[in-house]
Amino acid sequence: MKVAIIGGGVIGLSTAYFLAREGADVTVFEQKYLLYGASGRNSGGITAMHDNEAMIELAKRSIELYEVLPSEVDFNFLFRQDGYIKVAATGDDFEALKEEVRLQNSLGVKSRIIDAYEVKDFIPDFNEESIIGGAYEPSGGVIFPWPVIWGLAKGCRELGVEIRDNTEVKEILVENGRVEGVVAGDETFRAEYVVNAAGAWSNRISSMAGVELDNKIIKEEICVTESLKPYLNQYLLDITTGVYLSQSMRGEIVGGILGSEADNLSTSSTLDFVFRYSRRAIELIPKLKGLALLRQWAGVYDEGKDGLPVVGETKIDGFIQANGFGKAGMSVGPAVGEELAKLILKGKSEKLAVFNPERF
Amino acid sequence: MSRLGEHPIVDFDRGREVTIYFNGKPIKAYEGETVAAALYAAGIRVFSRSFRFHRPRGFFCAIGKCSACMMEVDGIPNVRICKVYVRDGMELRTQNSLPNAENDIYSMFDSMIDRFFPHGSHYKKFTKPKFVRELVTAQMRKFTGMGEFPKAELNEKGEYEEIETDIAIVGGGPAGLSAAIYAGRTGAKVILMDENPYLGGQLIKQTHRFFGSGRHMAGTRGIRIGEILQKELYELPNIDIRTETKVFGIYDGVVAAVEKDTKLLKIKPKKIIIATGAYERTLIFENNDLPGVYGAGGVQTLMNVYGIKPGERGLIVGSGNVGLILTYQLMQAGVEVAAIVEAMPRVGGYFVHAAKVRRLGVPIYTKHTIKRAIGKKKVEGAEIARLDENWCVVEGSEKRIDCDFICVAVGLSPAHELLYHAGVEMRFIPELGGFVPTRNRYGETTKPGIYVAGDVAGIEEATAAMMEGRIAGLDAAIKLGYGDEETVRLRDEIVEDLDEFRKGPFGERIVAGLKKIVVEG
Ligand SMILES: Cc1cc2nc3c(=O)[nH]c(=O)nc-3n(C[C@H](O)[C@H](O)[C@H](O)COP(=O)(O)OP(=O)(O)OC[C@H]3O[C@@H](n4cnc5c(N)ncnc54)[C@H](O)[C@@H]3O)c2cc1C
Ligand SMILES: Cc1cc2nc3c(=O)[nH]c(=O)nc-3n(C[C@H](O)[C@H](O)[C@H](O)COP(=O)(O)OP(=O)(O)OC[C@H]3O[C@@H](n4cnc5c(N)ncnc54)[C@H](O)[C@@H]3O)c2cc1C
Ligand code: FES
Repeated sequence: MKVAIIGGGVIGLSTAYFLAREGADVTVFEQKYLLYGASGRNSGGITAMHDNEAMIELAKRSIELYEVLPSEVDFNFLFRQDGYIKVAATGDDFEALKEEVRLQNSLGVKSRIIDAYEVKDFIPDFNEESIIGGAYEPSGGVIFPWPVIWGLAKGCRELGVEIRDNTEVKEILVENGRVEGVVAGDETFRAEYVVNAAGAWSNRISSMAGVELDNKIIKEEICVTESLKPYLNQYLLDITTGVYLSQSMRGEIVGGILGSEADNLSTSSTLDFVFRYSRRAIELIPKLKGLALLRQWAGVYDEGKDGLPVVGETKIDGFIQANGFGKAGMSVGPAVGEELAKLILKGKSEKLAVFNPERF
Repeated sequence: MSRLGEHPIVDFDRGREVTIYFNGKPIKAYEGETVAAALYAAGIRVFSRSFRFHRPRGFFCAIGKCSACMMEVDGIPNVRICKVYVRDGMELRTQNSLPNAENDIYSMFDSMIDRFFPHGSHYKKFTKPKFVRELVTAQMRKFTGMGEFPKAELNEKGEYEEIETDIAIVGGGPAGLSAAIYAGRTGAKVILMDENPYLGGQLIKQTHRFFGSGRHMAGTRGIRIGEILQKELYELPNIDIRTETKVFGIYDGVVAAVEKDTKLLKIKPKKIIIATGAYERTLIFENNDLPGVYGAGGVQTLMNVYGIKPGERGLIVGSGNVGLILTYQLMQAGVEVAAIVEAMPRVGGYFVHAAKVRRLGVPIYTKHTIKRAIGKKKVEGAEIARLDENWCVVEGSEKRIDCDFICVAVGLSPAHELLYHAGVEMRFIPELGGFVPTRNRYGETTKPGIYVAGDVAGIEEATAAMMEGRIAGLDAAIKLGYGDEETVRLRDEIVEDLDEFRKGPFGERIVAGLKKIVVEG
């Protein structure tokens, strides 16, 4: 079976990996280079603390996969399971956290509600007055997105997947309601299945197949400080302001603000972001004040109209959506790939059912 | 003691004596000097250890551009101490070393790490089984990072200011100063920013008489030119001068800067002039990161600004004007110069300078290069060697030079980060020293309203930098409706004057370079 996957991000590569493991003949098309999309620009926060049952299941499974895949592909993803903390600065947000933790617990996730002082136990010098309360999940943590992508790509190649970078898909061939292949670069590739894993570019790809898709485009900005000896073990997200921070394996404090809707795909950085991010980060951990920001950048990703991913078959036979993962693509990527391989090869995946593209 | 006592040209009025602590040990210093200068004067060469190989790090550029001098200062990590002034009681700690940078036990990594843990192995080695991977990852993490998380909360209160103005000028060297003066004289509202506590840019280190034509202040010492420009500047009330103000970005026409490390400035100008000057280039040779290998600017700053001797006996690499001038500045200060090496078959700088250096008895080795620096924690000597027609080292021609510092003077590259950030079109023009912006004859780049002037537009010299500054300052003011026909005439006169100035033999290369990058409009 021949499959063409559009997009060399975490979704495209995970799907390619699990398909190839079952013997499919897979080609991945990446318009620029691996890491060009959101998968190369994100903060690597991994958690099963979501507020939707299907997302929680995928994230739980992904954490398991992140534990075994590095051995399988012989590449260290630098995944540190030191825990993921969400904090809330308003009563309403704290209530929402409590509610999601109840749901998570009912599905076997070991998250729990913590108070400001417990946050301080995890993060020395945390300002307990900056929040009302939080939630903690021990199996989550921080992954370095680059080796995830490099490692998946290595695993793919070893299974015979062809990864064509610098090859933009320009056309999708459709005949009699069935997908026939793609035109990429200057060549035509025949395929029985075409997977749209193009992240923020997915609407554009979908329209090439004549399938309507109206995902939101979201731009998210992020920055790093100078590099320091280990200090911050957990990934910290303030759900009230969207400000998050963690420490990379290189020692930089990596932080950003959850993205907001954009009307284009520009990845330019803004001064306003630097102001807003530093102000809140310093409220949370006042000693950050003595550090210098070294770099800032931005990425774009997409999100389904109702806030959930769009995954599954469409009215065009063989044209599969795998996009709209919003701020959680890294957390659910590997399990999405595994399920999508099932869907394509066996015709069925229960875990993906709620993300059916026809739901709108 | 390596502080200079008497200097024939510069007076060093040292401030009050204070005490600073280096890893707990008290050291005498004088107010008004940087921490790096004070430590250097006390004979300390190793300030920290490098990130991965734990190699010794001292200071290199002396102007805050290379990060080689970082230390922990009063509990705040990674502070570039060549930019920080001493305060009584200051606590300094060396970083990334055990027990300290001078005797770091991890320095053994330097010889072992490549064999056992070559680059990229943090992804590729010890990947399975899971518990081994996790154990190694946790250990690896301990070795990353430069300083420690701040031990103290920076107690300065952050401030914020929004400024609306006609023209924002980045850089207070001859180009920026001239732009400010000429724009200011038309009545335009100007803000002039420089990251240093003083104005003058490179000029403040130039104790020699300037070359160039008489009309353009030749024969005047560089430091005096800076003083003259500043006097003219201070006469203008409509110029807002901000020193110790580092511009860190240009976002959609908004200039973002930090003043005195505590105040954030958001400046909304109608025009921007970028006059950020240049960086020093370095050379690739074995041990080129050893403390005691410096850029020419670093040595000049140490000697001519802080009155501190870089060492007892130096080797100069590069015989351009900078290398030659530096040689006699060193000798003036009582420092011996062992030799000058030059890769080209002949001396690069002006004949007068070369003749003067030769008269002083300094040998100049042309067709030679430096092969390596010798020493473990600091420079103890250098190995030089002859080059053949293909620029390869001639085997057996190696020669050891005894010296305690090496000064690399191999030219400058435009300091162009802000131009990239602003999104102007850049091209590589070797004659101008690297990547420079496309611009018109008035210095306006492909982003309307953003101008360049001086070394950042192409490595040249102070006279041209001043003229480019005046032209950009005048043109920006004219476009904003300031001045009259007289102003336009003045601008065009300077444009012609600059063309004339570049007609000499030394302008040939520059003119060839400009042909490729200056466009109509
Ligand atoms: C700053 C930031 C921080 C984030 N933090 C986190 C986090 O902590 N945790 C988390 O789980 N998620 C996080 N995310 C979200 C996460 O990065 C995304 O959800 C995820 O990377 C999406 O993966 P993807 O494969 O769908 O898309 P992408 O990684 O964007 O991949 C899509 C690829 O398709 C390619 N493409 C597009 N058009 C074509 C074409 N015509 N032909 C060929 N190729 C094409 C693109 O070049 C791109 O490489 C963050 C995102 C950003 C921007
Ligand atoms: C040893 C030596 C000898 C020389 N001799 C002569 C000579 O005899 N005759 C001659 O004509 N020329 C001479 N020159 C060259 C001359 O000094 C330079 O060409 C001239 O100084 C360039 O001026 P400028 O204004 O472009 O840059 P600079 O003088 O380099 O000034 C740039 C200024 O911008 C500031 N700056 C940079 N980035 C920022 C930022 N982001 N925010 C705020 N401020 C910033 C810098 O701190 C600096 O003060 C010599 C140079 C050297 C090194
Ligand atoms: S930054 Fe201090 S010596 Fe270069």
